[in-house]
Amino acid sequence: MDCKKAERFLLRSYDTALEPEEKKRLQGHLEGCPSCRRKDREYREILGHLRPDFIPEPLPYFRERLLARIREKDKAAPALFGLKWAHRAVLFFLAVQILFGVGLLLTPREKTRELSRAERLFLQNENPLTETASLLNQQRAEDKNMMLIFASLDDRNGGRR
Amino acid sequence: MDERELIRRSQQGDGEAFGVLIERFKGKVFSLAYGFTQDRTAADDLAQEVFIKAYFSLPRFKARSEFGTWLYRIAVNHAKDFLRKNRSRQKDISIDEIGENRLAAGEKSQEDLRSVEERRATVLAAVERLPEKYRVVLTLRDIEGMSYEDIARILDLSPGTVDSRLHRARQKLRQRLTTSLNRQGGDDGL
Ligand SMILES: [Zn+2]
Repeated sequence: MDCKKAERFLLRSYDTALEPEEKKRLQGHLEGCPSCRRKDREYREILGHLRPDFIPEPLPYFRERLLARIREKDKAAPALFGLKWAHRAVLFFLAVQILFGVGLLLTPREKTRELSRAERLFLQNENPLTETASLLNQQRAEDKNMMLIFASLDDRNGGRR
Repeated sequence: MDERELIRRSQQGDGEAFGVLIERFKGKVFSLAYGFTQDRTAADDLAQEVFIKAYFSLPRFKARSEFGTWLYRIAVNHAKDFLRKNRSRQKDISIDEIGENRLAAGEKSQEDLRSVEERRATVLAAVERLPEKYRVVLTLRDIEGMSYEDIARILDLSPGTVDSRLHRARQKLRQRLTTSLNRQGGDDGL
């Protein structure tokens, strides 16, 4: 058995009894190895210091102080029972929101309808006679003719004004 | 009253039932907190915080794990927070107080005790400086005396990992202590 294995057995021996065979091998190694004997002494001292000689009691009125603190916090927070259902309610609300959102996305949308000329004029608050008037008001005959040609082209292309 | 019934009632906000659970578990939770803090007032405060956290987390407690294990898990997590916040805190170890108790029992001379307490303080200070994962497992095993299986359940590790981590923790502790304890001398010739 080498020192590394001896140390592993040594450390395990502080927690649980080794198998008789393992114990014998460890003993044999320790007898011939001053370094591992020293490690054994050191580990035993350290572990001895770690195990407390005594553990004090909690400070007086532990339960009373604790329950008072809980009551105080309970007043600020919703009652436990309410809390239990509150988080379920939140989850339910979120699920409904998500379903609603998904529903909206999946519903086929109505195609945007082209407005009729009359609706366009009405919505844009325009008087159709203003344009005609402006054409007729032109002083020069060639200007009047050019504008009438452009206006008729516009209408033939179905273009918007 | 049966523990399950106490938990069920506590989950519905029954303070009396939770009071019974406090009485049943306060010793263990306080001892665990003391193992980490080595200070009575700090341990008391830590133990109170653990129970408060447990009370308000009870609606999420499932009976799949044991209540004790669940509670100690909360305690360890709180202790870790405490250790992170108090990393540089120096402990006040009352050598005289402990010494008088032992003297009354007629064990050792005042001087011997002072030396023992100094060495103990050195060991505990070295534990404080261990990396957190080693410190936690060492505290649960070597200060609290918990079994490997309980530690594994609380820390959610396999017993094999607990074993190797504890092995490593003890090795590190010994390496760090060898020099300082040798300097202090002592009966055991460390
Ligand atoms: Zn050896």
